[in-house]
Amino acid sequence: MSISSMIPRSGKVRAGLVIVAVFVVFAVFGPMVAQHDPNATSFDMLEPPSSDHWLGTTQTGQDVFAQFMTGARTSLLVGLLAGIVSQVVSVVIGLIGGYLRGAADDLLYILTAVFLVIPGMPLLIVLTGYLPSRGLFAIAIVIAITSWAGSARVIRAQTLSLRNREFVEAARATGENRMRIMFFEVLPNMLPLVASGFLFSVIGGILSEAGLAFLGLGSLTTTSWGSMLYFAQNSQALLAGAWWWYVPPGLAIAVIGAGLALINFGIDEFSNPRLRTGSRVRRAAPTSRAAGGDATAASAQAAGTRTADAEPGGAAGAVEPDDADAGEETAPAAPALRGSEMEGSPIIEVDGLQVDYPTAFGDVHAVRDVSLTLRRGEILGLAGESGSGKSTLTNAITRLLRDPARVVGGEITYRDSEGRGTDLLHLEDRELRALRWNEIAVVFQSAMNALNPVTSIHAQFDDVIRVHRPGLSPARRTELATEHLERVGIDANRLEAFPHELSGGMKQRVAIAIALVLEPDVIFMDEPTTALDLLVQREVLDQIVRLREQYGFAIVFTTHDLALLLEISDTVAVMRHGRLVEYGPARETYVDPQHPYTRALLSSLADLGSLA
Amino acid sequence: MRYLLKKLGLYAFIAWAALTLNFLIPRLMPGDPVRVLIAGSEGQIDPEARDAIAAQFGLTDDPLIVQYFHYLADLARFDLGVSLSNYPVPVIDIISGAMPWTLVLVGVSTVISFLLGTGLGVLLAWRRGTWSDHVLPALTFLNAIPYFWMALILVLVLAVGLGWFPYAGAYDRTMFPELSAPFLGSVAYHAALPALTIVIGSFAGWVLQMRNMTVTILGEDYVSMAEAKGLPGRMVLFGYAARNAILPSITGFALALGAVVGGSMLTEVIFNYPGLGYTLFQAVSAQDFPLMQGLFLIISLAVIVANLIADAAYVFLDPRTRQGA
Repeated sequence: MSISSMIPRSGKVRAGLVIVAVFVVFAVFGPMVAQHDPNATSFDMLEPPSSDHWLGTTQTGQDVFAQFMTGARTSLLVGLLAGIVSQVVSVVIGLIGGYLRGAADDLLYILTAVFLVIPGMPLLIVLTGYLPSRGLFAIAIVIAITSWAGSARVIRAQTLSLRNREFVEAARATGENRMRIMFFEVLPNMLPLVASGFLFSVIGGILSEAGLAFLGLGSLTTTSWGSMLYFAQNSQALLAGAWWWYVPPGLAIAVIGAGLALINFGIDEFSNPRLRTGSRVRRAAPTSRAAGGDATAASAQAAGTRTADAEPGGAAGAVEPDDADAGEETAPAAPALRGSEMEGSPIIEVDGLQVDYPTAFGDVHAVRDVSLTLRRGEILGLAGESGSGKSTLTNAITRLLRDPARVVGGEITYRDSEGRGTDLLHLEDRELRALRWNEIAVVFQSAMNALNPVTSIHAQFDDVIRVHRPGLSPARRTELATEHLERVGIDANRLEAFPHELSGGMKQRVAIAIALVLEPDVIFMDEPTTALDLLVQREVLDQIVRLREQYGFAIVFTTHDLALLLEISDTVAVMRHGRLVEYGPARETYVDPQHPYTRALLSSLADLGSLA
Repeated sequence: MRYLLKKLGLYAFIAWAALTLNFLIPRLMPGDPVRVLIAGSEGQIDPEARDAIAAQFGLTDDPLIVQYFHYLADLARFDLGVSLSNYPVPVIDIISGAMPWTLVLVGVSTVISFLLGTGLGVLLAWRRGTWSDHVLPALTFLNAIPYFWMALILVLVLAVGLGWFPYAGAYDRTMFPELSAPFLGSVAYHAALPALTIVIGSFAGWVLQMRNMTVTILGEDYVSMAEAKGLPGRMVLFGYAARNAILPSITGFALALGAVVGGSMLTEVIFNYPGLGYTLFQAVSAQDFPLMQGLFLIISLAVIVANLIADAAYVFLDPRTRQGA
């Protein structure tokens, strides 16, 4: 997404820009429009707004409108000046500290901490107390001195994370000097942060100036919103009910502050898509990897052709642009769906499932017309490259799809051991919660992120047991947790450990143990081994297969590693562009792949020697 | 506990920096405070008293380092000099009289504001994509209102207009300060409006931060896993999402607290509340430099201690900082 496609769409940013623009116009042209001198006194004392005095007059007969406009100029000027100075200081200090590391960083970090912790306003008051003459410029500089630290710390953190990126390494390798790298390579990559820091500095500057002036510590010769309030307060304007005097300046400070903060919303949402609000794209897809991948899948799909497929009834609402140009797929191949050969009763039946992601560019069909049946005890391997829709498919079944993904067609049925079906897609929250983990458990892609970092392993076993088995005593719950931990080969004394104290492989095994604890009928494993190194991957896989034999649960195993799937699965399903292209027993699929895509995948494996 | 020790070291350093800054400000600022004082007195102070006043400040002709050690030695004896505007009351006495008022007022309202703000932030994050998103611009506006203006409006509406609250002072002047129920009631009654100002002025910031952080955390895998576990929404929200999202709020405490302290100083001025902020304002107006500096020092130290407490809470909440304990 580019900046141009985003800013105009956010109502908040638009409102913010309009507000700020209005005040800039006030500041620039207001004093020219005003018919009175802001300091000229008259005998029209404390008069309400009239055609002559648009915002009434003060105690000494000064024109409030003229003062207000001059005040806008003062406030914006001080805010801007303080914002620029404080942002320059924080960028220089943050960049140098974060980039150079070492002693310079330590020193600057401590310096920043000092200014961060020492409260700004008292320091400001004391400093201005000592200023012999308080000009606007001096006030702005003093404000900047007391306010740069927060932003410097943010910029330092970002610099630390950017300094080892490839483009910076490359610049270092070509022998660019450090100053150039810092200001021309690193700095441009954190402009959103700098902009956001600048906006807050301006707000802070305006507020601080107003506060000082209100205390009578501002520039005594200049009219500002703060000094207006100072005089209003001192001449009892409030008690006199002279709202036209004290309401406009205070309101103006709040409105311009809000305007600047609204613009900052846009910056925040640009750098963190999850924060977006609004009707269309509420949040970015569950994870950017899935959304981005699916978007590319869909555009590639748009270039393909409609495959002659069963289940036309499932296609509700998903309109396919089939008049597109010929794409990379030259010959459309029919999907080869042989189905599962497993015996045993079905446990999950997916029928004609369609999942869409609405985007700014139209609906993306992430899963199109997928039907499959998982039987008790079966290992179904779901293969496909990133963005093929496999994660969207499993998330739809486990009801973990995130906004804006929508199931637009098809059915998913869960069958218990007696064959009674439950419509998973239309389950009430309470019933869904009861089914979850009891019958359907999930092992997430990366256990590094799947365990709550701030609670112990014990707590993460315990909450799920407590919720689903309310009758069990705490001692029994602990016993269950220990038992399952040991079953995946982890010593019971690690029960009280926190996730960060375990290795990657251990975390993944803990995640599996938690999945097993209620002895579910089926476990969804989303690339459970991808993040692990090869040796650990093997151990974890062996464990999964062994546990399956022991407990007899079914597994839906997602991965892009076809070789691995063929080895452990009973049945294999291959997805591409949101569709099942191959679905059949693992052995047959290996010996006799029907779909050209599967064949291509397998032959590339053979070239690599993976199946040797 | 290495984390906490490191923090302790850092804050000790910051405290030292605050002491030193306090020493250096009057010596480095353009303009001689003594001359400012004499000029400001409009002839009431005899220019010949200059040296005596300078000595009061510790601004002698000794080398800076000697002055510095004198300054530290005085501090060690809690000697912050003598107030000029309330001559000859020691600064430390004035401060210890004002301190409890501010501690209670700002302390209580900061805690209320933090709890209210973070709670509301979690709620808004949970209900995002609905009506709640429209609350955000309103909160942004609230967050940008200057404390002192908010105080003025509240005084006007609630104290002057409706007469619900007193608009100045910390307790009923007809009462004698003692530990009795009526007196404490009067204190609470007088503190209500200033506290309300501080809470309204500061809670929106907590809401916005907590909402954004919780929304970000809700996208994490461990929240999906909690959901997949079939835990009730409440548990997912508080045990997993909010529990993690609150951590940056606590590390950001320093930043926010500084703003709250600044804002509450202005609030005290408006309510004539006899705390540190009001006293500082009076000291600056009266150009009572020893009092001004003493107050700055004490306020800084109080904020440093508050930050240390926040960091201790952080250690308690985030096991990752306890590594190597």
